[in-house]
Amino acid sequence: MMEGKEKLDLYLERLPRVEPLRSFAPAVMAEIQRRRRPSYRRYKRWVVALGAAVLFILMLTTNLPLTPRLELFGYRTVRLVFCSAVRNPRTVAVAGDFSDWESIPMERVDENCYTLTLRLRPGKYEYGFLVDGKWVPDPLSPRVVSDGFGGANSILVVDGDAE
Amino acid sequence: MWEQSDREIVREVLNGNQDLFSILVARYERPIFNYVYGMVRHRQDAEDLTQEAFVKAFFALKTYKDSFEFSTWMYRIARNVCLDYFRRQKIRSFFSLNTPVGEEKEGEVEDFLPSDKDPEEGVLEGEILERVSQAVEKLPWKFREVIVLRYIEELPYEEIAQILGIPVGTVKTYLHRAKEKLREILGKEFS
Repeated sequence: MMEGKEKLDLYLERLPRVEPLRSFAPAVMAEIQRRRRPSYRRYKRWVVALGAAVLFILMLTTNLPLTPRLELFGYRTVRLVFCSAVRNPRTVAVAGDFSDWESIPMERVDENCYTLTLRLRPGKYEYGFLVDGKWVPDPLSPRVVSDGFGGANSILVVDGDAE
Repeated sequence: MWEQSDREIVREVLNGNQDLFSILVARYERPIFNYVYGMVRHRQDAEDLTQEAFVKAFFALKTYKDSFEFSTWMYRIARNVCLDYFRRQKIRSFFSLNTPVGEEKEGEVEDFLPSDKDPEEGVLEGEILERVSQAVEKLPWKFREVIVLRYIEELPYEEIAQILGIPVGTVKTYLHRAKEKLREILGKEFS
């Protein structure tokens, strides 16, 4: 009769070893090749995440019409209309503190009238029109302030539910 | 015939001769498969995990340090793959009623019966071996692991210690406690 300890050791030494039914080398090398190949799928989630992040940042930081129906993040749609006293002006643009005083060309709607749709947060803005390079306050705006250079700026008030 | 060492092959693979990696796979597929099978006790899963371990090793080859034997490093990767497997199984068994691990229990030991004994004695021995095998399966992970590495893989204590990242003394303690636990499971016949 074997001693208990010895007996356990003997049986443990004879525990079954299993033979793999196939050689792994071909499958491993094929899998390595497959994983090395650049695949769109591998980057898909990163592309989607990056796209979503860019869109989100644009929605927060720009006036682009990315939320056309929903007034998210406090933006309001404001339509400016300018009808020129000069017939057939060559260029009509608007500039204001909403555009850091950069001029934004307006769209012609008829012979003398121009329009532009902006997305602005509620607040008070100074602005004016540039008709063939000449500064013109908005004739339709009742509020005007001095521009500090002897001219005048119009005032645009965007309130919480104005369209 | 002159045979390239593991380290030479690793160097060549890293230098761009990547097909040579298949030599390392062929060299270690049997022990790694046996180790993985010893841990998961499911042939199909063991095959998949062994393949995954070699693929992972290939992509991590730059991190292989000469201070270890390649085989030791390979066992460590296989061990991590097994740990991931058990984690996944744990999550899966949490959400389903499927048995997590341990199928294919029957008929494993018959092939290992001693052939030079009379049939009756052989059957009895086979039954005991089966019981021992099942008792090993019931051991907690860390005890089962040292039993597999020591008795199935036949590794020295030092290599087991390197694979598990524990001191040699701890390996011996684990083995001692694993065998005590086995005796407890197997009953007075082994105590």
